[in-house]
Amino acid sequence: MVSPVHIVSIGLITAFLLGLGKKSQQQMLVFVLMIATAAMTMVSGSWLIGLMTGSLKPTDVFTAGFKPPFAINLRMTMDEAVLTTMVNVFGFLTVIYLFDVLKKAGKHLLSIIVVFLIGLNVVVMTRDLFNLFVFLEITSIATAGLVIIIQDSKSISAGFKFLMASSVISGILLIGIIFAYSYVGNLNIDFMTNLSMVKGGAVAVFLVMTAIILESKQFPANGWALDMYESAHPAIGSALSAVSAPAILFVVYKLMPMVPENWHPVIGLLGLITFAFSNFLATRQENIRRMLGYSSVAQGGLMLTVVAMSVYFGQSFWFIILGFLLTNFFAKAGLFWLNGIVNSDDQNKWGILRKRPVLFFLFGVFVVAMAGLPPFPTFFAKWEMIMQLAQGNGWGWIVLILLGSIFEIAFLFKWFGRVFHAVKDQPAEPVIPWFKEFPVMLFGAGILATSYYFIKYQQFDNLFVLIPLLIVAAFVVIDFLPAFIKNILLIAALTFYGYIIYPEIKGNIMQLVFMSVFLVGGILTLIPGFATKGTRAGFYPFAAMTIFGLIMLVNPGDNLTFFMGWEQMALGSYILILRGKKAERPAQQYMLFSAGGAYLMLAAFGMLPHFAGDTFFGNLSGLIPGAGVVFVLFALGFMLKTAAIGLHIWLPGAYSEAEDDATPLVSGVLINAGVLGLFWIVTSFGPQQLFGYDIFQLMGWIGAITAIGGNMLAIYEEDMKRLIAYSSVGAMGYIIFALSMDSKLGLLIALYYMVLHFIYKTMLFMSAAGVIYRTKTRNMYEMGGLIKSMPWSFIVVLIGIITLAGMPPLAGFAGKWMFYNAVVMKGWYLQGTMVFFSGIVAFLYLYKLIASVFLGQLKDNHRRVKEAPFVYLLPQFIFVIAIMVLSIFPQVLLEPLATIIPDRVPGEAILWDGRLAMTSFGYWNAFAVMTTVIVMFATIFLWLTYHSRKAQKVKQFNIVFAAERPFRPETTHVSYNMFAGYKKALGWLMTPLATQFWTGISDWSTAIADKVRSWYTGNGQTYAMHLLLYAFVLYLLISGGKIL
Amino acid sequence: MEYLTLQNIGLVTGFMLMLIGLYGALTQKNILRIIVAFTIFDAGLNLVIVALSYIKGRVAPIIDQTTGVTNLSEKFVDPIPQALVLTSIVIGVGVTGVMLTFALRMFKTRHSLDINDFKQTKW
Amino acid sequence: MYKNMFIILLLAGFGLLLGSFLLTHHEYLSLPQLPAYYADNTAPEVGAANVVTAVVVTYRGFDTLGEVTILFVAASLIAMFLKHSKAPRHDRHPRPSSVILSTSQKLLFPLIVLFGAYVFANGHLTPGGGFQGGAIIATGFLLLLMANPQAEFKHGLLNAIESISGTSYVIIGILGAILGLGFLDNRFISLGQLGTLFSAGAIPVIYSLIGLKVGAELSNILHHLNEVQNEE
Repeated sequence: MVSPVHIVSIGLITAFLLGLGKKSQQQMLVFVLMIATAAMTMVSGSWLIGLMTGSLKPTDVFTAGFKPPFAINLRMTMDEAVLTTMVNVFGFLTVIYLFDVLKKAGKHLLSIIVVFLIGLNVVVMTRDLFNLFVFLEITSIATAGLVIIIQDSKSISAGFKFLMASSVISGILLIGIIFAYSYVGNLNIDFMTNLSMVKGGAVAVFLVMTAIILESKQFPANGWALDMYESAHPAIGSALSAVSAPAILFVVYKLMPMVPENWHPVIGLLGLITFAFSNFLATRQENIRRMLGYSSVAQGGLMLTVVAMSVYFGQSFWFIILGFLLTNFFAKAGLFWLNGIVNSDDQNKWGILRKRPVLFFLFGVFVVAMAGLPPFPTFFAKWEMIMQLAQGNGWGWIVLILLGSIFEIAFLFKWFGRVFHAVKDQPAEPVIPWFKEFPVMLFGAGILATSYYFIKYQQFDNLFVLIPLLIVAAFVVIDFLPAFIKNILLIAALTFYGYIIYPEIKGNIMQLVFMSVFLVGGILTLIPGFATKGTRAGFYPFAAMTIFGLIMLVNPGDNLTFFMGWEQMALGSYILILRGKKAERPAQQYMLFSAGGAYLMLAAFGMLPHFAGDTFFGNLSGLIPGAGVVFVLFALGFMLKTAAIGLHIWLPGAYSEAEDDATPLVSGVLINAGVLGLFWIVTSFGPQQLFGYDIFQLMGWIGAITAIGGNMLAIYEEDMKRLIAYSSVGAMGYIIFALSMDSKLGLLIALYYMVLHFIYKTMLFMSAAGVIYRTKTRNMYEMGGLIKSMPWSFIVVLIGIITLAGMPPLAGFAGKWMFYNAVVMKGWYLQGTMVFFSGIVAFLYLYKLIASVFLGQLKDNHRRVKEAPFVYLLPQFIFVIAIMVLSIFPQVLLEPLATIIPDRVPGEAILWDGRLAMTSFGYWNAFAVMTTVIVMFATIFLWLTYHSRKAQKVKQFNIVFAAERPFRPETTHVSYNMFAGYKKALGWLMTPLATQFWTGISDWSTAIADKVRSWYTGNGQTYAMHLLLYAFVLYLLISGGKIL
Repeated sequence: MEYLTLQNIGLVTGFMLMLIGLYGALTQKNILRIIVAFTIFDAGLNLVIVALSYIKGRVAPIIDQTTGVTNLSEKFVDPIPQALVLTSIVIGVGVTGVMLTFALRMFKTRHSLDINDFKQTKW
Repeated sequence: MYKNMFIILLLAGFGLLLGSFLLTHHEYLSLPQLPAYYADNTAPEVGAANVVTAVVVTYRGFDTLGEVTILFVAASLIAMFLKHSKAPRHDRHPRPSSVILSTSQKLLFPLIVLFGAYVFANGHLTPGGGFQGGAIIATGFLLLLMANPQAEFKHGLLNAIESISGTSYVIIGILGAILGLGFLDNRFISLGQLGTLFSAGAIPVIYSLIGLKVGAELSNILHHLNEVQNEE
């Protein structure tokens, strides 16, 4: 086996020999460099493979043939093998990527690149402190050389700032090394683990450690690094982020044994502060390279934390660090490289990626991987890290991580959304040479492969996790097929999945109910997709991801599966929403709120084991001190998804701006995930208290206010989809209220209403989609009189709103009847009245919906409008049939639902006597009600028909127009500003407090971020001072003001 | 306990030079002066390293007729810092050279050597 | 002003930290194990009379390889950086240098180079070595440039010397790994008799190569800087 030292000798010989090359041979020299980096890769790669398969043993290379500490030794174990392979592979790809630059640049740059790689290799491998210093210096100078590939004034001054900073850092490092030597009498890291124990030795450790921490670019002493990221060639930024930073962090890892145990948390916390703040500042960046720079720094901070706490993390350490390291390696490098391909720091210019589906896909993969969403390694690493921190009660740490993560998501998805919607007509077809695309694709493959191993390592359930993931992956692969084929395939896949999953869950009614909602909902909402032509690229993978994400929620096998499903569903639906034409901002809001909710849940999952062990559906009933906090975190997380008032502002935009036929899926089906979660916590936690308050009482109020607020907001909407969307807010308020009653009847109502809302809301949205599909508008005042041209859609809407309004004889009435009973039993009269009142409010907007769209005058431009396509109507009528069945035989649904509710829940259940439902307050027979209503209706109808047999049919224009010609005809439409009177009277209730609050938060954070980042003055001297200041503060933190 | 040993004088001088160098690097506005300040810092650092190798009454670690070949570890000063300082000096030369080159090019881009004129990238 | 006060305070803090070293550190009374080992075993193990050289070239030879690399990368950077300026070259007509300078330069240049060579070739015996010798040689070139700023010297030759000596250094290192006990081991050539020129195995060879390389590199740097000046 080739000794690892020959990585260095190969590199150096190449570097030196390149000097002999002539100008005319430049291209050949580039190939020589390529071969050399390939050879270096092969040496380290062969060690990696050898060590992995066990055919090689970890070795120490003794230079000069003397054992340490007498001579310098290099070490090659698994760690070093991984890192050197990363460095060398990266070097090889960089040479390829920079092929065009290198061809013109002259031989010196080639030498600098190879020396840079050598430097990093030795920094990783060496066990000698002074040798480490020497090779760090080599790396620094080489870095300075690489920064100035583009020799513009920006990069030159950034390079100088870097040199200044690096001089200060190396000064601190060297003085530390010298002190260390003078205390322990040698320079080998393995022989100075007792350094901090020697009197005064702690100062040496402090200096060395500080220098390395500064070198790892921690906030806020990292202005020099950011400027470098911003001005250097993207390929170099990529190198700094993907290989330099990990090498430095590995040095921290090597040095950790010297560092006293009580310093570990301090260093760890510094890393987290970097993570949170850098991501925070990145949200304010418009310049892509600088933003990526902030992001790189942030990732470095997170990894520093993990490394500093390696002792604490114990067994999980490798899992966590590899998750972060590899994701950062592949994804960050990929993003920088893409930046080089796009060749612009302007987000809007990135639209050219849209013309290259593969590159755009990889861009998405990198962004999602960086954001820590499943199925990528960071997701698992973050989960594990938080679970571990929670075990040690590291709540402050968790808050920092989650804050940083949410900022990270904010800027990453802002970027992604912008690119997604960037104008597609960029000047000319982009010409992207193969050598620029190749490395990106390779790293894309790398991150996917890594994810595969991470998922495999987790040993997930086959049926609930692996098969869904495989199906999603399959849809990514077949995305080039025509839409209708994919539609058929996805429906088939879902049906088949239902077939194989049914035997698994048929014993558990709860799983069965939710699974049916998600599966049936998924299938039915896909059917209208047959009307779309073309390939509909990028829709099906994410539709599949959303539906299968929901499916994962149903299996409570373990917390991770649930959380993974949750995140997957959020990601999938985000893309579905983003696909809408004007959906950039709403989708961004949706993502932020989703992520916020998810992180609250993540924190709650961290706390959960303190109360319930590892089980998901643990029985936590009874007042457990502190469990209230967990409950509240979960409840907030789920209520974000169900859009409780105050947390709802993302909903109208997201639902209405999504593609019309995707809306039923992301609203009607998906919102039930929140209900599932709420139901789960309500049943498993039972009544809990927070600071002495009864949480259920609080939730009841939230539910009531949400119900009324959502409905109030709906009545003023002119936009058909927004109206229905707001009505969802109201309906969810109703469900939250019902759940918080925590009685048998209350929970039953919640479940029943969940199913019912799923049915009518999906139906209404589909019907709306059909109408919009034909009329090409969402404004209701531009419609009218569509009853004749779209009678079937009218019937669906009619049935839908009768159900929604809870009027007999349809199924909604059952809910209302039970609701009266439950409220009276519980005694929540005030809140109950509010909810009833919200029902009345609902009539207003329902009337508006049906009257202004289907009744009244037909518009001229809608004269030729046809009925909605059959594929739209088919699922709607399946739902109509379901409603009819439920209306006549509600017990079909209610009886099984009642069995889900655990016995612990207090209160009276419904007694069934055939078709008769009874409580202590009364009884109700759906069948009888239906019969009565039909008879009444039929009688009146016949009577009317008889009476109006002589009536004359009037055509639309069979009346004389007044001589008036309105300036804006649409303002004369009945639904234009329809409830203006109510708005005048109750408008003050509608003050968008929630919107103001969230806007305030956003403005406030913008202002803070701008204040904080003005710290980076751009002056190299100030940056150098920051370094010293950082060291000073670190000293105070570590020593507590005493002499070490 | 004697404080005014040759070694301590060397160390204190070295420390002072380092601080003076740092002060210059942090306060001077002219880039060339900043570079000079860094070389002063380096010089101080190197002096500290050399001073550490000193042991009173011993000779440089070179074998010749006066030292003989036995019991050398009782006659020589510490050779390691002397080897380190050589490396440190060479690194200093390299870094200074590179910094000067940067200064040269910076002057070409803006015709100024004031460090405040090079704040193109910030925030 | 406040900023300067702040910096002084900061540096005072740093000074205190450094000063604390004086409190805990004591001058060695005897050498610690590692340097003592070097002092005692250099002669039998490495065969060099100069212990510092033995440490630099053999025991810590890997550092020295790094050192050479640093100079190399710095020189490359400077060459890359300065060559890229595309400003039109216009001839300067500086005042011709004095007769004393140009005459003594002619006389001294060979002597300086010779002295440099002496210093690096004897690095294992006397104070000195490759870096010192190389630096001396570069001063010869500096003198040359001062006497005649318009001088064109052979770039290719310097580059070739630099490349070949550097490559040879690494190859000798590899030979040490193959024939001796490890990378950069000097003992694959017979150690010879202590104190003579041809002793200490590969050390004189390595130090000579380093001397040539450093001399060529530093001269190259000077040359590049001078060329830029000519462009102005």
